[in-house]
Amino acid sequence: MASSSDKLDRRQFVGNGVRIAGAIGLGGFVGFLAGRRGSADDTVWQIDPNKCIACGNCATYCVLDESAAKCVHSYPMCGYCELCTGYFEPDPNDLNSGAENQLCPTGAIVRKFVEEPYHEYSIDEALCIGCAKCVKGCNAFGNGSLYMQVRHDRCLNCNECAIAVACPSQAFVRVPASNPYLLKHKGTGA
Amino acid sequence: MIGIAVVLAVAIGAVAVSRVPRSGDAGSGLPQRFDYDLKTHKTIDPALILYRQAGELPLDLSASRAVAVGPEDRIYVAGDQKILVFDREGTRRSEIALESEPRCLAVGGAGNKEPGRIYVGMRDHVEVYGPDGTRQAVWERLGEKAVLTSIAVADSADEHDIFAADAGHRVVHRYDPSGKRLAEIGRRNREQKIRGFIIPSPYFDLAVTADGLLRVVNPGMHRIEAYTFDGHFEEPLVWGKASLEIEGFCGCCNPANMAAMPGGGYVTAEKGIPRVKIYGADGNFVGVVAGPDVLAPTATITEETREDHKLEVVDVAADSRGRILVLDPAARKVRIFVARNPQMETKS
Amino acid sequence: MMVVAVSAAAALAVERFPPPDFTDHQLPQTTTPHGRWLGWEYFDMAALAAGLVLASYFALGRRSRKGLVGLATVAMVWLGFWRQGCVCAIGAIQNVSLAVFDPSYTVPLTVIAFFALPLLVTLFFGRTFCAAVCPLGAVQELTLVRPVRVPGWVDQSLGLVPFIYLGAAVLFAATGAGFIICQYDPYVGFFRLSGNAAMITFGICLLVIGLFIGRPYCRYLCPLGAIFGLFSRVSGRHVRIPPDECIQCRLCEDACPYGAIRPPTVPQTPAERARGRRRLGWMLALAPVLVVVGTGLGYTLATPLSLVHREVRLAERMKLEEAGKVEGTIDASDAFRNTGRPARELYTEAIALRERFAFLGGLLGGWVGLVIGMKLVHLSIRRKRDEYSPDPAWCVSCGRCFEYCPSEQQTLIQELPTLEKSGV
Repeated sequence: MASSSDKLDRRQFVGNGVRIAGAIGLGGFVGFLAGRRGSADDTVWQIDPNKCIACGNCATYCVLDESAAKCVHSYPMCGYCELCTGYFEPDPNDLNSGAENQLCPTGAIVRKFVEEPYHEYSIDEALCIGCAKCVKGCNAFGNGSLYMQVRHDRCLNCNECAIAVACPSQAFVRVPASNPYLLKHKGTGA
Repeated sequence: MIGIAVVLAVAIGAVAVSRVPRSGDAGSGLPQRFDYDLKTHKTIDPALILYRQAGELPLDLSASRAVAVGPEDRIYVAGDQKILVFDREGTRRSEIALESEPRCLAVGGAGNKEPGRIYVGMRDHVEVYGPDGTRQAVWERLGEKAVLTSIAVADSADEHDIFAADAGHRVVHRYDPSGKRLAEIGRRNREQKIRGFIIPSPYFDLAVTADGLLRVVNPGMHRIEAYTFDGHFEEPLVWGKASLEIEGFCGCCNPANMAAMPGGGYVTAEKGIPRVKIYGADGNFVGVVAGPDVLAPTATITEETREDHKLEVVDVAADSRGRILVLDPAARKVRIFVARNPQMETKS
Repeated sequence: MMVVAVSAAAALAVERFPPPDFTDHQLPQTTTPHGRWLGWEYFDMAALAAGLVLASYFALGRRSRKGLVGLATVAMVWLGFWRQGCVCAIGAIQNVSLAVFDPSYTVPLTVIAFFALPLLVTLFFGRTFCAAVCPLGAVQELTLVRPVRVPGWVDQSLGLVPFIYLGAAVLFAATGAGFIICQYDPYVGFFRLSGNAAMITFGICLLVIGLFIGRPYCRYLCPLGAIFGLFSRVSGRHVRIPPDECIQCRLCEDACPYGAIRPPTVPQTPAERARGRRRLGWMLALAPVLVVVGTGLGYTLATPLSLVHREVRLAERMKLEEAGKVEGTIDASDAFRNTGRPARELYTEAIALRERFAFLGGLLGGWVGLVIGMKLVHLSIRRKRDEYSPDPAWCVSCGRCFEYCPSEQQTLIQELPTLEKSGV
């Protein structure tokens, strides 16, 4: 009887030792991880517009039905052209907002007359599906003021972004959550 | 029953897992209308190509910006922080070091008071170099907004003025040879029917033609406008139209560059769909010098969205023998084209 | 892996050109809507800690199956449908692996918490996280309608898969090839009510299987479950079937849908014991052989394994395109040419990666060999059991067996008037 309880005690002792060692080991590992991350910001996904090739994968690979990546417009970079190659089909019949003239398959670009001869273009995000067709059109001839960005009001910030996996130009990068956009243009003019 | 259901589910599940897309290699799967395709517009009817490449000058410039022709058909190329000078045979003669990055350049022609004088446009000012490469003058700075994109020199016995196209201010500055700014040309003016230069991107070219007029590209309107040196707009002489077709100028703002041919007529360079074309003195389309197959041979879907979104835009010049010099920054060379049919040369 | 692009903003210095001078028009600003409030991260961590405490209390203290089911439902709603399956303790394995191998990767605080806290709790109290905090566990727990017993050998063999999956997940995360646990998460599609068709199909299949076979993902796939199993073996206070003494009534024998209940051992004859020893000896001798064989096999698998990495795949593709063995180009190869980088650079990188995969593939193979060997050794060890008890490695502390135990019923009736004592 005594030997059996001895055995039990010994088992308990070893068990406790293992558990404490495990806890200390785990604590040490957490310390290592915490030290490695330091005080760095957590990260979110964003598109580096200089790497983006506007392939259209953003529209279909996002885990959301309606992609979190959408087209944005850098207004200071825009030429405010009457004939915008990001807005109009190549060789449009006429320079008006007729559906047959528009490049955007979902009609998500809004064209607004500002003053002779300039027009301002903006994105209706509710309609944009992130196919990046306009980005190609704008870049082909123009200034590249239309470009793709992950919209963080929609993005779920998946552990591994499904679009990043499918991105052929590795344009998806992790950026600090406190500065979550890679805008082509900061501030005003100049 | 349950066994069958489980086995079936395992089988279907295994098949499904093996079909999970692991990469984007298969493409977006979006229908055709989501594609942006310029392929049909990039093919050029070979019958329209009137020139062939006869030679080329390799350039050791990472960013070449402009090509110009001077007296005795010397070839000047500006890029990085220097100007390279070649003789008409393509032998490199000299190199002029600059303090900042050049944007454009012009060289006083044989008929000029000071032949071989080099005018270099920096972002916001003009610098003048002698034929031997010594700096003679630095003209006034035009302010933060200025973006000089082109220079032309009047080349006749009685006119020696210099014209600089300022894309930032959207005007042409007229200078006398001493660097005094005499006037601004092309500012919007309803009475004179001047609509103003519409310049969406930093490409804004001009040239002085043999008829003593200043020809300025209005890229946003896809046309070439004519002005007297005094700034009077010659409306009937305007030519050019927007179109992806070969006769027109493609995209939102073209032509990006233009030069006058020795016997009248123009050579133009477009960006977006890189094509160099010849127009007659009255603006009628004559033919093609080179198209995308020569100037952007690695055409892929990605060419619409280049890294850094920096368009490699070609510059053009024509020498007294009718040879056309095409500066191809992507290929880092000047391509020299001659007419396929020698008659063309004398005719133009 | 993609490096954090802190400097990318500064690098975006494209040549600027002033917009037109408008007489009376202000340029709009590009909007930059922010994501979730960052404070939610701390809320998530607090919720996790609270969930773990509650789950352990319901399983060990209160012995309340109802409590566990209720908590599991909350966890499914909160971590599953509300947080849409991301932040996840299972996926955290990969972030942690990546952080170990790639110093430039910033591992989020929540991920550290979701990785460490469940492990710590498991170390002391068994797999209570699986019981009622894991949303994936909850989905399966709540959809099990007609449990079917899985034959022991199938159970044991399939039980090896999570270890292999774990090894592969760490390998691919560490090499930057991808987070396969996330890519092949079967239930996240339900949480998000969207996803690609193949994964949704897989999810539905697993749900169907889960109607009859308890927790198929937890038992035969979950890589975190593999780690939990090891930790749970040494847990000090694991869930017990009877609240106090086992009366060996055998009523609980069929209670566990997860095959985790082990019956008491019957005394062996000396001949049996000798045979058992011999068997153990053979298995102990076999284990190192399996490790060596596994290492060799893993090493030779370097080429197919490395193809999971995008860069290696791209290099292969570029090679084929250059050799004219395939027609046309794909977006990725176009994009690479677009950067102007020489292909040779890519090839050098791919070769280096492949070497890394050869080394790590060897490790993975060795790991698989070790796992199989240890399994065989473990199956050959007889440990004396006096009562019906849960195998701590397999038991997810779901509490289904409690109500099968007559002594539990007895205590409940006895303690009805004095409920405060029931905590023991």
